Amino acid sequence: MWAYEKKLQYPVKISNPNPAMAKVIITQLGGPDGELGASLRYLSQRYSMPYDAVKGILTDVATEELGHMEMISAIVYQLTRGISIDEIKKSGFDSYFVDHTTGIYTIAASGVPFDANAFASKGDPITDLTEDLAAEQKARTTYDNILRLADDPDVLDPIKFLREREIVHFQRFGEALRLVQDQLDSKNFYAFNPAFDK
Amino acid sequence: MNDRHMQEKIIRAAKFAMNDAALFLDTHPYDIKALEYFKKYQKITADATAEYTAKFGPITMDALPQSAKSWTWIDGPWPWEKEAN
Repeated sequence: MWAYEKKLQYPVKISNPNPAMAKVIITQLGGPDGELGASLRYLSQRYSMPYDAVKGILTDVATEELGHMEMISAIVYQLTRGISIDEIKKSGFDSYFVDHTTGIYTIAASGVPFDANAFASKGDPITDLTEDLAAEQKARTTYDNILRLADDPDVLDPIKFLREREIVHFQRFGEALRLVQDQLDSKNFYAFNPAFDK
Repeated sequence: MNDRHMQEKIIRAAKFAMNDAALFLDTHPYDIKALEYFKKYQKITADATAEYTAKFGPITMDALPQSAKSWTWIDGPWPWEKEAN
């Protein structure tokens, strides 16, 4: 069960709307390496994870990712507040606007709606954690690319925070993978799948 | 039903009453009767949760007791496991 905390994990306060930037940043909500996919991936993987510490890290990172979804949504919301039809046309936001107005919709920057293929759950602890390590790096790269494209300090500040969290999550998942391997046969980690074979 | 399950049942019922009342209050924010109902179960939830936490560990990580000597948050069974229900 979850409870909602009525505050952002890190503040989002953007003075100047910028629909073109919103269209780019929304990829961290509904894109292949976005926060929605990350949260659902870790929540789904918990069930087949046999080790308590790793159930803990998957639960707690997934919960934080829900908070990051909210931050990305808040950034997109604030970047599209009070924009005119002229700005919408000039910025290229029209292709999003026509389907969703300024509502928040889970979509990649390229226009592909959220695809559940992005959240992998394989039922094998080594496979799943290796996936998670890659996922955190892919999200970090995406944030690096957003930082290359953005120039507004109001946008850069929360994006830098989110980028840093990807690095922290990568570290924790690395430790989780080591914890799993420590409990397996060091000569052959793949001798059996601790989530399935008994 | 063991003691842990009994305590959990009280919290689950009281918390559910709160959640359900909250949905009603979202659309009826000035309904005093509903507000009082919420407060009643808020108190029951708080008391039962404090008792549960002291005996069996935290349900939310905020509730980790100051006296804790280790991170009992990760201790199983986890909610999706049969043993926890």
